[in-house]
Amino acid sequence: MAESYSEGRTGDGEYQEQFLNDTTLRRLGAAVAGLFTLGVGGFIAAIIFTQVDFELLVEIIHPQFVNAFLRVLGIVLVGSLLSVTAGVFVGLGRVSNTKFTNTVATAYVEFFRGTPLLFQLLVIYVGIPAFWPPGQFPISNWAIPTAIIGLTLNHAAYVGEAVRGGIDAVPEGQMEAARSLGMSYVQGMREVVLPQAWRNALAAIGNDQVILVKDTSLLTVIAIPELISAFRNVNSTTFDPWTPIILVAIAYLMITIPLGKIVNHLEARADWGGDRR
Amino acid sequence: MSLLEFDEVDKYFGETHVLKDVDLDVEEGEVCVIIGPSGSGKSTLLRCANRLEEIQDGEIRLEGQSISAADADINRLRQRIGMVFQSFNLFPHKTARENVTLAPTKVKGLKKGDAERRADELLDRVGLGAQSNSYPNQLSGGQQQRVAIARALAMDPHVMLFDEVTSALDPELVGEVLDVMHDLAEEGMTMLVVTHEMGFAREVGDRIVLMADGKVVEDSPPEVFFENPKTDRGKQFLSKLL
Repeated sequence: MAESYSEGRTGDGEYQEQFLNDTTLRRLGAAVAGLFTLGVGGFIAAIIFTQVDFELLVEIIHPQFVNAFLRVLGIVLVGSLLSVTAGVFVGLGRVSNTKFTNTVATAYVEFFRGTPLLFQLLVIYVGIPAFWPPGQFPISNWAIPTAIIGLTLNHAAYVGEAVRGGIDAVPEGQMEAARSLGMSYVQGMREVVLPQAWRNALAAIGNDQVILVKDTSLLTVIAIPELISAFRNVNSTTFDPWTPIILVAIAYLMITIPLGKIVNHLEARADWGGDRR
Repeated sequence: MSLLEFDEVDKYFGETHVLKDVDLDVEEGEVCVIIGPSGSGKSTLLRCANRLEEIQDGEIRLEGQSISAADADINRLRQRIGMVFQSFNLFPHKTARENVTLAPTKVKGLKKGDAERRADELLDRVGLGAQSNSYPNQLSGGQQQRVAIARALAMDPHVMLFDEVTSALDPELVGEVLDVMHDLAEEGMTMLVVTHEMGFAREVGDRIVLMADGKVVEDSPPEVFFENPKTDRGKQFLSKLL
């Protein structure tokens, strides 16, 4: 129908101002964002000025929170490195043409993605030492290894799926071109497919690593003095909720925000002549 | 012994019989142009020649060595077979020069400096000496395809396979790629070319091979094929071109 093209026009050919046109939408959005900022900002200011006990804050920040922060940071660094490395191999297994390898990688992902991390941590923390007679388990501080093993196994599954998606998104012609030049499958993967798959998967991997940081909060159940247990410690002795809450928030954001920046930087670096803008 | 020999080659995609008893010998220095309607198996034949596709029966030999045998050292054999694809397949994360040097350094173990010198020579030869530091997405389709030719030549192949290399190009960019192929033919490169460019086939081809329904139906010199084809299938194909 020809009339449908002239909808919104008045008889003399002028565009009619609709209620929700582009300009009003833009102003409405800015107004909502402004109100939101004011509300949240006011709330945070109210907390800081009415709820936070600065004397207590100074007292608990060191050594309690600094130590918890450094412990979490250390676990995150090792867990990230290991889970991303292992995840690449899980992803390679997922795209393998060898049925056995493929099946094993798929089962791995199904299990570690399909059961809660908390459950996996308990299996490792309580289950593994049960193979030894009571009191004979040779590792005295088993909680830290449990944390690293659990986070690595769990997040390798997610990273593996991100890598698989990244590999699948690389056109088949890339591997064919590499093979046609006499490169082996391994060379083609390493030199041609994986660098492109890595870029494709970076956002998803970064996302998962942020979740890994936050997953360290579960380590409180295997008695690792991390940030949540530091909060509970302070809160249960002083009955002050907001002073430790503020510290916990700052500590997590001190890891997750730089992590996001690193991912952005890596993405910008894999720009290859500007096709990603 | 011919340079490249297809010996009663049969290829199936599932139930579909796409190559039926294909016999074809390509002599050294020859430019063999394969034409035919789409779905006739010409690209598949080309892809079988460097084993990007497996054949189910028959044998393909390069300089007497089997390509299709189960125990063929395919990575080594492929170094002697250059291939250029319809969709270029340049490596987007590498510059033009890096595209050309990758295989020589990784596969042949050439030193980086030597490989780069050779890459610059080859890029010069395809008219892209000034673009060696550009990434593929900064190049036009015709330029990308010429880099792809340089990349294949960098392995010093004994035969070059061209799989509809101008089909994805804007019309005004076709000429620059055909010119490079023309020069290559004049330098004596053995070439197996699948194309729809009849002008090129006629001018550069030593032989025109017409395929239809997975079979070679005519194999004639271009002056014969384009003037007075020997077979009815050839006449029919030509009549549709005009």
